[in-house]
Amino acid sequence: MKRLMNILVLLAGLMTAMLVQAADMEVNTPAITGLKGSMKARHGQLAGFYASGAVGFTRDGLITVRDANTVPLAQRQSVNTLVAAENNDRNALYKEIANANGHPEWEAEVRSTFAQRWIQKAPAGWYYQDASGWVKK
Amino acid sequence: MQIAIETHEMEQGRQGVRHARFAFAAVLLSVVACLLAWGVPAYAITSISIEADSVEADTAKLRKVRAEWKLDGVVQVQADIRPAESADWQAVSLACMQPARPLPDAWQCAEGKLTMPGVNMPFSAQVVQASGKPQYQVNVRLQQASFSSPAGTQAAEKLDARLSLDLQRQAAGWQWQAMLDWTGGELYWQPWYFAKGGHQVSARGYYAGDVLRVENAELKLAGVGNARLQGSWQAGKLQDLDVDAQELELAPLYALLLQPMLTDGALGKLELGGKVGVKLVLQHGEPVSATLMLKDVDLEDKNGRFALYKLNSRIPWSYNEAQVVQLAYAGGHVLKIPLGEASILADLNRYSLTASQLYLPVLDGALSLTDISATRAGGDWHWHLRANLIPISMPALSHALGWPRMEGKVAAAVPMMTYSGGQLTVDGDLLFQMFNGSVAVSNLSMQTPLGATSSLRADLEVQRLDLGDLTRTFSFGAIEGKLDGSVKNLLLSNWQPVSFDADFHNSPGRYRKKISQRAVENISALGGAGAAAAIQRSVLRFFNEFNYSKIGWRCQLSNDVCKMSGVEYTSQGYVIVKGSGIPAITVMGYNHNVGWSDFLSRLKRVTEGNASPVIE
Repeated sequence: MKRLMNILVLLAGLMTAMLVQAADMEVNTPAITGLKGSMKARHGQLAGFYASGAVGFTRDGLITVRDANTVPLAQRQSVNTLVAAENNDRNALYKEIANANGHPEWEAEVRSTFAQRWIQKAPAGWYYQDASGWVKK
Repeated sequence: MQIAIETHEMEQGRQGVRHARFAFAAVLLSVVACLLAWGVPAYAITSISIEADSVEADTAKLRKVRAEWKLDGVVQVQADIRPAESADWQAVSLACMQPARPLPDAWQCAEGKLTMPGVNMPFSAQVVQASGKPQYQVNVRLQQASFSSPAGTQAAEKLDARLSLDLQRQAAGWQWQAMLDWTGGELYWQPWYFAKGGHQVSARGYYAGDVLRVENAELKLAGVGNARLQGSWQAGKLQDLDVDAQELELAPLYALLLQPMLTDGALGKLELGGKVGVKLVLQHGEPVSATLMLKDVDLEDKNGRFALYKLNSRIPWSYNEAQVVQLAYAGGHVLKIPLGEASILADLNRYSLTASQLYLPVLDGALSLTDISATRAGGDWHWHLRANLIPISMPALSHALGWPRMEGKVAAAVPMMTYSGGQLTVDGDLLFQMFNGSVAVSNLSMQTPLGATSSLRADLEVQRLDLGDLTRTFSFGAIEGKLDGSVKNLLLSNWQPVSFDADFHNSPGRYRKKISQRAVENISALGGAGAAAAIQRSVLRFFNEFNYSKIGWRCQLSNDVCKMSGVEYTSQGYVIVKGSGIPAITVMGYNHNVGWSDFLSRLKRVTEGNASPVIE
């Protein structure tokens, strides 16, 4: 009986800990809606560059120009601008989600969760960075 | 090293010297020169080839080096090269056509071509030595050259350029004079892109040891303007620099050079006009003084957040002494609120900016700022000031913001406003005198006001607003009376409400308390289908307005749900309008939790006048 109680207490403790610790990644604020909207609008412009390998996902939840050689010279600057704008939004999103959870210090955790999520959701053929370098999914 | 001279009659003996540690060019030039000096052509030779298995230098390794000199004048060098920082070998080849009748004291390479992965560079080159003197003239011409770094972040295509360089050996170094003319082709050097040529650099100077001195450089940027420059570099590091560029066209300068560096700031998307001048002096690698001049600059944010017109400014800066900044503009706007003509003087002392008073006309009022102090530290601005808002009329402000026309005025006295780390904090109250009553905004703070994740916190206190004016303004249906209330802990994110605790009720005291049939219907409609008001159709049909004793509405917003209540609770719900006298009417709410976005869309329908009231 005592053992059962111990287990129950432990379970209850664990659940509380999980409830307290788990950041809600789906939390919504108008700023998050705005950021997701602008990222969604931009995704159409970026998708082709992900597919060609010009742009890839980094380990810290951002994107970077990986191999611009497939992009005509005149368009490389706009790719660079798209990447900068996307990273701006992504950084703001992670910060905002952490803030909306009431824990600004969770930003790093939010970022790494999203980094994994972007890579999981990416279709085959897109590039992402892991510890060893660039990987084609 | 293997040296092979192929002839019709004979084949010279081979000798092998492996792993020669020579610089690549030295091997090529010295061997070719030796062979020429030996008078090799006497043997009716068709070609001479030199091979080396391995050549090492500090910056690169070469292997399978093969240089061939043919009698028709073609010189060709092929090798595998491996830069010191790389693990991969790359094939590189260099070919040259030497004219049959070379100029005296000259080395010429016509129809030259340098090829390696990422580089395809047709060129011609000529080095002429002034007879017997240590004085050389170098001319290089690139024709339709292209190159690309492995990631494509630095690349050029169809590049046409001419470089001429005069070198004169002096006691300790070289006196040089150079002229680079980029005539055509495109260049991408992340983040900059140059679509076409037309840019020129001419310069002269001195080179000795590891010091490069540029004495008089003139830079011509097509469509932008000219800059003069002098400076010195030691071991590739900038020591002293003096730049002077006046009358630069700001629009092309911004598009070409500035915008690519400003993509993630508030200045990343500007529409610009006017001219700019820059002076900059660096000593020992550190900035010493600078002056920025803006001349008739029009500046407009493409996202419509701010604009300034006919901006003229002189911003001198010096590390050692305080300077006076002048800035004036003819007009503009911030977040759609128009700014009038203003002229500003401020003191700039190294990294801090101070001004005792700034007067910025805003609409028909003004923002009067005093005791302003701004400091740049850690790459961020920090500032504080006192502000007085000299009354702005509400009709003008509501018009500017695209709101329904409101009467009254707004004024503010802010004893202290601070900005630090993207956070704007206001001590003191903003007082709006409107609808014959007042709205006070206190505890106002904003985070990144011009960013995508702007947020605003504030508390509002509402006193004796005239409900007649208010309901007319928002075409809600007439209610007569006075309104008190508060909005506590208001949080806006991206200018949309996230959470607040709003509580409104009619003011205490004696005044006319009437509510129109339409207002009753509208309040009922706001509740949605499940929150019908207890209204009898028969009563509504005969009367246009009703007396009330109390009106009240409370909404605690969080997580997109508004927890609603009214002036009192009943067993079924809560009372929003409590009637009195005859005919009395009571408007009830039944839903305690109302989705905020549903509520907003209903409110929109109601105020736009096409409400279909839900009456059950």
